[in-house]
Amino acid sequence: MARFEYLEAHTVRQALSMYRRHAPNVRYVAGSTDFLIRSRMGNWNPEYVVNIQHIPALQRTSFSRRNGLRLGALTTVQTLQDHESVQTHYPALAAAAASFAGVQVRNLATVGGNICNASPAGDTLPALLAFNAQCLSTGPEQGEQRSTALDEFFTGPGRTVLEPGELLTEIRLPRPEPNTGSLYIKHSPRGAMDIATVGVASAVTLAADRRTCKDVRIGLGAVAPTPIRAYAAEGILRGNEITPESLAACAEEARNTASPIDDVRGSAVYRKEIVGVLTLRTLERAVEMARDGTMAFETQRRLAVQAAF
Amino acid sequence: MTTEHNVLGRSLPRVDALDKVTGRATYAADVYLPDMLMCKVLTSPRSHARIVSMDTSKAEQVPGVRAVITGNDFPDRYFGSGAVRDRRIMARDEVFYIGEPVAAVAADDEVTAQEALELVEVEYEDLETIVDPLEAIREGSTLVHPDMPNFEGYGFAMGGNNCTLLDADRGDVDQAFRDANQVFEETYHSQAINQGFLEPMACAANVEANGRLTVWASTQGPYQVRAQLASVLDIPLSSIKVNAMELGGGFGAKLRLAFEAFPALLAMKTGRPVKLINTREEVFTLNGPRLATTIHLKTGVTSDGQITAREAHSVFDVGAYLGAGPNAGVGHALGAYDIPNFRLRSYGVYTNKIYVGSYRASGVADMHFAVESHMDSIAHQIGLDPLEFRLKNVVKEGDANVSGASVPANGLLETIEAVKEKMSLPRKSEEGRGIGISLGEWRSGSGPSTASISVNEDGTVSLLTGSVDISGSDTSLAQIAAETLGVELDQVIVAKRDTDMAPFTGPSGGSRIVYSQGKAVQMAAEDARDRLVGLAAERFGVPSEALSCEGGRVYVQDNPPQSLTLSQLAAASLTSRSGPIIGMAALSSMPYAPVFNTQAAEVIVDKATGQVRVTRFVQAQDVGVAINPMGVEGQLEGGAVQGIGRALSEEMQIDPETGRVRNPSLSTYLMPLAIDMPAIENILVGVPSADGPFGARAVAEPPGFGPPAAIANAIYDAVGIRIKELPLSADRVLAALQGQDGDEYHIDVEALKKAETG
Repeated sequence: MARFEYLEAHTVRQALSMYRRHAPNVRYVAGSTDFLIRSRMGNWNPEYVVNIQHIPALQRTSFSRRNGLRLGALTTVQTLQDHESVQTHYPALAAAAASFAGVQVRNLATVGGNICNASPAGDTLPALLAFNAQCLSTGPEQGEQRSTALDEFFTGPGRTVLEPGELLTEIRLPRPEPNTGSLYIKHSPRGAMDIATVGVASAVTLAADRRTCKDVRIGLGAVAPTPIRAYAAEGILRGNEITPESLAACAEEARNTASPIDDVRGSAVYRKEIVGVLTLRTLERAVEMARDGTMAFETQRRLAVQAAF
Repeated sequence: MTTEHNVLGRSLPRVDALDKVTGRATYAADVYLPDMLMCKVLTSPRSHARIVSMDTSKAEQVPGVRAVITGNDFPDRYFGSGAVRDRRIMARDEVFYIGEPVAAVAADDEVTAQEALELVEVEYEDLETIVDPLEAIREGSTLVHPDMPNFEGYGFAMGGNNCTLLDADRGDVDQAFRDANQVFEETYHSQAINQGFLEPMACAANVEANGRLTVWASTQGPYQVRAQLASVLDIPLSSIKVNAMELGGGFGAKLRLAFEAFPALLAMKTGRPVKLINTREEVFTLNGPRLATTIHLKTGVTSDGQITAREAHSVFDVGAYLGAGPNAGVGHALGAYDIPNFRLRSYGVYTNKIYVGSYRASGVADMHFAVESHMDSIAHQIGLDPLEFRLKNVVKEGDANVSGASVPANGLLETIEAVKEKMSLPRKSEEGRGIGISLGEWRSGSGPSTASISVNEDGTVSLLTGSVDISGSDTSLAQIAAETLGVELDQVIVAKRDTDMAPFTGPSGGSRIVYSQGKAVQMAAEDARDRLVGLAAERFGVPSEALSCEGGRVYVQDNPPQSLTLSQLAAASLTSRSGPIIGMAALSSMPYAPVFNTQAAEVIVDKATGQVRVTRFVQAQDVGVAINPMGVEGQLEGGAVQGIGRALSEEMQIDPETGRVRNPSLSTYLMPLAIDMPAIENILVGVPSADGPFGARAVAEPPGFGPPAAIANAIYDAVGIRIKELPLSADRVLAALQGQDGDEYHIDVEALKKAETG
């Protein structure tokens, strides 16, 4: 493990100034669940580590029906899983959080960290994409703020639009639409403590007739260099009647959107094969949830981690 | 049976339970000595290369570094863990796999040691590499060890990369195939897997004031470590003391010398204690796993489902060195069946990858998956129920086993019946669900075993054996001693042992502790009991036969109040003619006592994703007599869990070009979790063995090898596809469901036969 200087920030301003003072070889850390592993493996060797975990302003979460969900970047994954408003209004996100690693890691890992690591397989990312998340960040020089749509945030595996020293501060999810259902399904060989071979989150909003798809957003994980939205697939369903055929066509298009690779977790061929299957399953369940309103969280959690059963 | 016993047959808590759950138990990594240095090991980044030059000077100059060693610092000697002495403890002029140790550093702390390693300069010149064992066994293939014929211990094999060849023959196989109504041929493949023990290897070494070397080891075999260490350091065996520390799992991986030689030599160089603790990555890359095996089976069957002949050709990848003898599984090609004619061959083949190690029934586990899948496949092809087909062919009391020995009374049929009843077999499940069974045999482990028992003046009993506790074996041994001497379990003290203190014993492996070591303990306890009774007889003036030793006292059977407590006898013994009460026993081997088991898995197959989930697992095993039923069930469950992991998700992914382990971490090498496990139901069948302590048989090995075949057979039952390769991963199942040919491996049997006759 490499040696580094450890610094602790208690405000965003302090964090940014620490960055400026020691730039460029500085890394922000929060839960450090990725950092410690990569540091030990020798992949990340910063000279300075700025721990932002103790910045109160980044720890707040709030929900209102008008403004939607606001997640401080330090919101832990366990909080996402347990948060009543997330479970009620953004169920795919709560289910995704529940499928994330194990409880010890969930208690440390933050939603901001999961976004900034920009892993194609990050478990919260397909759901955040499906809920149209916006990322608020603050630049290192004048503290300038900007907001970026999550689907424009990732530029490659482990890469984002953030400038050096820029700090992700908050994630905003638009207010929930009525008649909406959403679900995340993760395929992995193990039922927990595993990284997704493929992860799919779908959110479906039905029109007042409960048959027409008013809106649909599909987030795909681990099938492209970054988590992606399946826009073409969404286009097939949006504005059209929900039928087994239209759902299947949508899922098939999602499959075509995927451009996975071979790695230790699965082959490209296999990933491509099941992304359609998982998309169809999330859509079917999301439609059910949009119609019936609820699905027990325990059921969602089980669906999320044990895709098949 | 159990009702006659007081301590035996009861599910008593482990004698070490409190120490372990409170964290007081001391493992090798917990050894702290004044001025202790930490050791890190540099390994080869090349698959096969000549070491042109090495320069350690920069590493030596790092502040805090106390010594750097390379292969040249060790005596110029080869050693072996299997039959052949093919290995140096540290590479000298050539490396044979990625991960082979080439240097080691002792420094004030681990970080400094690691930094120094990065400054060791090694110049390599690449040599030709061969990674695929099926290619390596072909004539004319690139050679891993061209000088193999000169290796000490190299005997009968074909040469080339084939380092060991085991065989077994009976009858006229070719004629039997001609006489058979149908002949079936299939090839199976099992993957490379890691033992997955919880406690990474650790060891410490120190040179004592008297010049002797003390080693603290995480080992199943302290005497093996002592002997091999003496050999590689070229020092007298008697100058080494090995402390066998608490063991956090071994499963065969810790049977032999691991890395103890590195801290030992560094301690000799620096005069300071040195400790080495593996990282989890090193558990995967430094320490021998079970490697892949490909098995071709050919079976002749009569029209009424009687097996007439079997031929088996198995190719065991041994990696760069024969770190264990995996192809000893050759005889298990018969399974638990009586087959009159057979020709069995198993080939160990060198390749440029990490050397093979032992893992819970090495070789046998691979063979079991092939044989029990093959049996199921044949049953379906000839239209017989898989259980019925097996029952027609199972080995029975009095049949000759593979080596010609007569099979003694056993509980095989009882285990089959028990599982059949519990699973309500045969039954047809709904589409996508299925049940599969497998049955198998293991032999209760034998080998040198010793025990010494002394009765203390307070009536307690001290038990000393050289064997390391695995899976609660100390508790079983203590129960055997307590039962024999008529005391409670908490009256038995199990000594922590080292090689100076305890008499020689074989390693804790191969399901031998309770059966063989337990026998020695029983005999030693009987010896001590005889002495107690003899002393009491003297005092009472009655013959020994008139006395019983029970309830912590020796009493006159006809007049129980006339008695002496063990405490009184032990105190009296100090001044008696025969001296303090000590019982001792030693034996070198135990008679053949088979252990049979039957396992059944119920699965659901997701036909869209290929994902398989085991929903229920039932197993029955003939344990003879369960010394501690809770411990036995723990062994059975642990084995089933390991086997289910091997069946579904575990696989060491080895790069086909370089032999590098691609997934050396617990996030990519997927051992199952509790959430992945079904309810496991255990049935203990008890047909006592003739010679085991109180009739006990071995337990450990069989539960681990059955699940892959049972699950593969269940998948066939569920969706009608036969997967012949492990693991039974979702992508493989899905590909088969889509009709893709799953035959990924091919053994050129004709070429092997030609090589044998030519």
